[in-house]
Amino acid sequence: MQSAIKRTLTAAAVLALAAAAWPVAAHHSTTMFDHAVTLTINGTVKEVHWTNPHVAIFVEGVIKPGDAPTVWLLEMTSPGNLVRAGGWSRNAVKPGDKVTVDMSPMRDGSKGGALKKITILDTGKFYTANIREQERANLEEEPAK
Amino acid sequence: MQLRLRLIVAALLACAALSLQSAVAAEKPLINPAPTPKDYADLGKLPDWSGVWNPNISDQDRQAKTNMPPYNDKAMDLIKFQLAEEKAGRPPPLFVNCLPEAHPSWMLITHNAMEILFTPGRVTMLGESDGNRLRRIYTDGRGHPEDPDPTYHGHSIGHWEGDTLVVDTVGIIPEALVAISEAAGVPNNGDMHVVERIYLKDPNRLHVELTVDAPKILTKPWKTTREFFRQRARKFDIVEGTCLDGGFASKIDERGNHVFVPIPLGVGGNRIAPQ
Repeated sequence: MQSAIKRTLTAAAVLALAAAAWPVAAHHSTTMFDHAVTLTINGTVKEVHWTNPHVAIFVEGVIKPGDAPTVWLLEMTSPGNLVRAGGWSRNAVKPGDKVTVDMSPMRDGSKGGALKKITILDTGKFYTANIREQERANLEEEPAK
Repeated sequence: MQLRLRLIVAALLACAALSLQSAVAAEKPLINPAPTPKDYADLGKLPDWSGVWNPNISDQDRQAKTNMPPYNDKAMDLIKFQLAEEKAGRPPPLFVNCLPEAHPSWMLITHNAMEILFTPGRVTMLGESDGNRLRRIYTDGRGHPEDPDPTYHGHSIGHWEGDTLVVDTVGIIPEALVAISEAAGVPNNGDMHVVERIYLKDPNRLHVELTVDAPKILTKPWKTTREFFRQRARKFDIVEGTCLDGGFASKIDERGNHVFVPIPLGVGGNRIAPQ
């Protein structure tokens, strides 16, 4: 039993090393984010990576006024899911956009999080990123209940 | 005595003839016949499974808690470890290598949409990303090969029982997980057999009843269900998705060329924040 756990841990460590060593992308669980917490960033979009399996947006900004601006890395679900679930498109958010972002931060304290909602300040237009909002048929035809 | 001898000789001759016949059959290649206009017309009698189908993820989550596979003790040890790790914010990196999720994980835990094509003698499932890449289901009446080369999605044969497609799959690689989430699953370790009954539960809900028999890690066959929602809006047409994209950023190099540049990723597969 003890050795089984040890083996499992070793296997996990090997996997972890493998994952860290190569730039393999990531069809991953999202429990590295603390979904019980929501922080709001005010800042400017630096980069948008509209890629599978997870879209990412880099925002330079602050949580509290007076903080030193830092770059936050915000992850979401896949492009297809964002189009169906949040009304996104490849150009919905662009570098240079002034935004506020609600996100669940990384549990390890690094400058990253899972994006929940992004609002573009110039237009007031906002996008959410809840994969489960697409859980009904004919999304375009029937209003959400 | 005479009669007995004659019978033996007759039996031997019959055996020789049979083996000769099978030798000839073995040499003769099996040909997939060209479909006829009737074969194409018959497709119109099948239920309408057109459109884009996206999974009910909340139901996947629910079943991960309420309908756990009957894992054996050894497999359950690993699942418990993985669930504890996930709860602690360290999700085990099960699918971060971007290899296909494989059967039956595609049906069980995918977050991506798929579409289903009918052609004579075949049902083809096309996924949105590499995770749920491609399933070929032969409906031309063939059986499984005696010793199929193991693949991610295995060898699938199907037949229609009314409006229900019954799919039988063997020949799945032993590494393919019997997973309950993106962070908890156990390799089937060989001899897995999956039977699916797929049908429309209402006009826009595709229902899949699965029986997963994985004797190396389960104490008995596991019965579960999955559900997919139909989307018809053209804006939801499936767009090519490549899992490895997430490990790269698109940049313009010093020569002005568009190139992919690798970016660092964390253990759990997420991108690493810049600082």
